[in-house]
Amino acid sequence: MSGKKQAKPSANKTWAKMYKYRGFYLMFLPVFVFAVIFFYAPMLGVRYAFTNYNGIRKPDIIWFENFQRMFSMKNFWSAFVNTIQISIVKLLLTTFAAVVIAILLNEIGNLLFKKVVQTIIYLPHFMSWVVTASVFSLILSPSSSGLVNSFLLNIGVIKSSNEMIYFLGDSRWWRPAYYIINIWKETGWQTVIFMATLAGINTDLYEAASIDGAGRWGKMWYITFPQLKNTILTVIILNLAKVMNLFESAFVLQNDATLDVSNVLETYIYYQTFNSGAIPNYGYTTAVGLFKSLVGCVLVLVCNHWSKKVREGRGIV
Amino acid sequence: MKKKALSLLLASAMVVSLTACGGGNSSSESSNTTDSNASTSTTDASTSTDANASTDANASSGDAAAETSDIEKPEEITIMVDGTVFTEENGRDQFIAKLEELTGIKINVIQPDHDAYYDVVGQQIAGGDWPDVLILASTQMAGYGSEGVLWDMASAWENSDLKKRQEAYNGDGVVSSMYIDGKLYGMPATHGNGCVTYVKQAWLDEAGITTLPTNYDEYYDMLLKLKEAKGVDYVVAAAGFLGAEAPFVNYLPEFYQDAWPSFYQKDDGTWADGFEEQSMKDAMQRLADAVKDGLLDPETNTYGTADVRNKFYDDSLGVFTYWAGTWASNLKNNLENNGLDSELVALSPIAEAVPPLASGPAYIDRVSPAWCITTQCENPEGVFKYFIEAMQDGADTQFLWTYGVEGTHWSTAAETLYAGTEQEVTYADGEFHMLDNLETPGSQYTKAHIDPMLALTELADDPRETTVKPEALAAQQLFNENSVGAFVVPATDELNQYNGDLMTEKSSLVTKVATGQMTVDQAYEEYTSQGYADMSKQVVDSLNALQ
Repeated sequence: MSGKKQAKPSANKTWAKMYKYRGFYLMFLPVFVFAVIFFYAPMLGVRYAFTNYNGIRKPDIIWFENFQRMFSMKNFWSAFVNTIQISIVKLLLTTFAAVVIAILLNEIGNLLFKKVVQTIIYLPHFMSWVVTASVFSLILSPSSSGLVNSFLLNIGVIKSSNEMIYFLGDSRWWRPAYYIINIWKETGWQTVIFMATLAGINTDLYEAASIDGAGRWGKMWYITFPQLKNTILTVIILNLAKVMNLFESAFVLQNDATLDVSNVLETYIYYQTFNSGAIPNYGYTTAVGLFKSLVGCVLVLVCNHWSKKVREGRGIV
Repeated sequence: MKKKALSLLLASAMVVSLTACGGGNSSSESSNTTDSNASTSTTDASTSTDANASTDANASSGDAAAETSDIEKPEEITIMVDGTVFTEENGRDQFIAKLEELTGIKINVIQPDHDAYYDVVGQQIAGGDWPDVLILASTQMAGYGSEGVLWDMASAWENSDLKKRQEAYNGDGVVSSMYIDGKLYGMPATHGNGCVTYVKQAWLDEAGITTLPTNYDEYYDMLLKLKEAKGVDYVVAAAGFLGAEAPFVNYLPEFYQDAWPSFYQKDDGTWADGFEEQSMKDAMQRLADAVKDGLLDPETNTYGTADVRNKFYDDSLGVFTYWAGTWASNLKNNLENNGLDSELVALSPIAEAVPPLASGPAYIDRVSPAWCITTQCENPEGVFKYFIEAMQDGADTQFLWTYGVEGTHWSTAAETLYAGTEQEVTYADGEFHMLDNLETPGSQYTKAHIDPMLALTELADDPRETTVKPEALAAQQLFNENSVGAFVVPATDELNQYNGDLMTEKSSLVTKVATGQMTVDQAYEEYTSQGYADMSKQVVDSLNALQ
C-alpha cells in the first residue's frame, strides 16, 4: 500500500513534467512516427525468413529450411567469407593510407598548397560509384586504350598486346584493383578526422621536442603518432561494426569472371532476388538478409565493448 | 516508476503501430485495393491470390472462351507494359487515346522504366494488385504461368477469329512454340527476331577477302586476316560471353555453334542440360582460343550492348552479331554519322551453327515477348478478343500498334524534316512517312510496338515498303530464311530454386575459360565438385517428371 502511495506522486510528477515539456514531445512525435513506420514496421518482414514465399502463393511456414539451404550453399559461404575479407582489408588499407596522407598533409607548411591538395584528394569521395567504375574500367582496360596496360607495354613489363592484364576481369587481380580504387576514392575523405586530431595537438610538445634535439621524423614518431593512436582505433572500431554493409562498390565493379572473389552477401541477395531467371524466393533471400543482420548486430555489440575500453567508457551505441 | 511509465507508453505505441501496419499488409494479400495506377477492371476483380483459385479460373475461363458469341467487351482495363510501347515522352497519351477510340475500352497504363521492367513486375505481382494485361518474356511467362498468375488462353486462341484467318495470319508456328505443358499463357504480336552477324565491307576489302565464310575454319581465318589488315586489338566483341536469358548464345553464334548452355528438350522428348554436353566444352575452348589469339575482345565479359555498338561505330571492331531488321539501318546510319564506310555484309549462319531443334545451319529466333492476361482479370475472354486479338486485326488497330498516331508518329502531309541539315528530307503530299522522334529529335521513328517486318498478320494498306530501308529488309529476310525458333522451358520448383545459381555459375565458368583463367577441364571439375551437377540433375529430373 505504501508503495502505491509513493508511486502515485512520482507518476503524477512524470506526467506533469511531460506536460510541462509538451512542446518538446510534440517535436519528437514526427521522429517517433517516422522511426516506427520506416525502421520498425519493416522488421515484420523477417517472418518471411521462416517461410517459403515467392510473392504469389501464401507463405508456407517451413521454419529453418531456408537457413539449412543457405548453410548448404557454397555460393553463400563464398559471399560470406568475401564480405568479411574485403571489408576488413579495405578498412585497414584505407585507414592506413588516410593516416599517412593526413600526417604528410600536416607537414606541409604552405597553407594554400595544403588546401589545394586537400580539396583534390577529397573530390573522388563525391563521385558516384557508377562513374568511378566506368572511369577505372577505361583506365584498366586490357587494350591499347587502357592507360595502365599501355604504360606496362611501353616500359616492357608486358611484351605484347596479347599479354595485357585484365585487372577487373581476372580473379587474381580483381581484389588488388578494388582496394586501390577504394583507397583512391575514400582515403581523402577519411583524412578529415585525422587532420582534426592533428590540429588539436599542443604545439608546445613539438617545441619541447625540438629543444630536446628531435628531428622531423622523431617528432612524428614520438608525438604525432601517439596522439593519433586513439583516433585510429576509434575509426577502426566504428567502421568494423559496418563491415557487413557492402554493396555498391562491389556490385559495380564485379563481373562474371570474378564472382568467386567479389560476390559479397548483399550482392548475393540481389542476384538471388532479381537475377535468378525465375520467380524469386523471398523467403530464402530474407533468411540470408536476416543472417547478415544478426552477424552485423554481433559485430556492433563486440565493437561497442571494445569502444568502451578504448574510449574510456564511451561506447558506439 | 517513471521509466516503467515511459516504457509502457513506448511499448503501447509500438504495438499499435505494428498492428496497424501488419493489418494493412495482410489486407493487401487478401484484397484487391486499387489506386489510380492499379488494376481497374470493369467490376470488382476476383481477389484471391490462391493458386488453386487461379487454376479454377483457368479452367472455367477456358471453357467459356469457346462461346465467343457471349463475349462481353470490357469497359476498362489496366495494362502493364515495357518500353516497347510508346513512353510518355514519345506520345503515349496520344497513342492510348487513339487506342481507346478504336477499341472502345478505357485503358490505364502502368509503364515502369524499361530496364527495371521485370523488377517492377515482380513487385507488382508480389503486392497482390495485378494488372489485367502485361507483357512478359518467355522465362517470366513460364514462371508466372506455373504459379497461377496467368490465364490460360489456349481455348480462347483456338476459337479466335485470328486463328481462323489463316490466309492473313502466319503466326501459328510462333504461337505453337509458346505452349507450356499444354497451356498458352501469352499471345505474341510479332516474331521474336534474332541476331545475324554483320561484317564491314571496308574491312573485308582491306583484308582482300572476296569470299564470305561458310564454315568455322573460314570464319576464323577471316577474323585473323581482318586483324592483321587493320592492326586492331580485337575484331569481334559481344555483350557478355553468355547471355543472361534465352537464347543465351545469340551474340556469339559462330563460337557456340551447336552448343546450348541450359535445359532443352531432345528429339526423343526427354530433357537435358546442354551445359554438360561435349558441344558446350568445345564451344568454351573456341572462345578461349579466340581471346588468346586477340580476335575476341576479353572485355566482352563486362560490355553492355551499347559498349559494343560504340566500338563498332568508332571502327574498333569489324564484326558484330546484332539484331536483324531495323538495326541493320541503325548500324549503317551511325557508321555514316561517324564518317565511316557504312556498307555491311550480313553473313549466313556457318555450317557448324546448328542449335537445338534445328536441322541445319541457323540463327536463333528468340521466343517473342507475349501479351498475357492475369487471373485477376474479371473478363479475360473479353480482354483477349477486344484488346489482344484486335492488336492483329490487319486493319486500323494493327496499324496503330505498328506505326503509332497520325500527326504524332507519322504523317502524310507535305513537309520537310531536318531542314538545313545533312539529313534534310522532303515528303510530298500524301506520301507516308514517320515523324521526328519526340524524345530524341534528329532521328525518325521507325515503328511503334509491332515491327512491320516481324508482324504475324498481314496489314491492309501497309506502307512498310516506303518506311523500311533496303538494308533492313535484306538483313531481316536473311534471318527469316536462316533461323529456327527457340523454345520455352516449363517452370518447376527445382528450376525456380536452382536456375539462378546454375546460370550464375555457368556464366562465371564460361567467362573464366574464355579469359584464360582456367581450362575447360578445370571448369567442369569445379562445376561437379561444387554441387552444380547435382542441382542440374534435379532440374532435369523435375522437367522429365512433367511428362
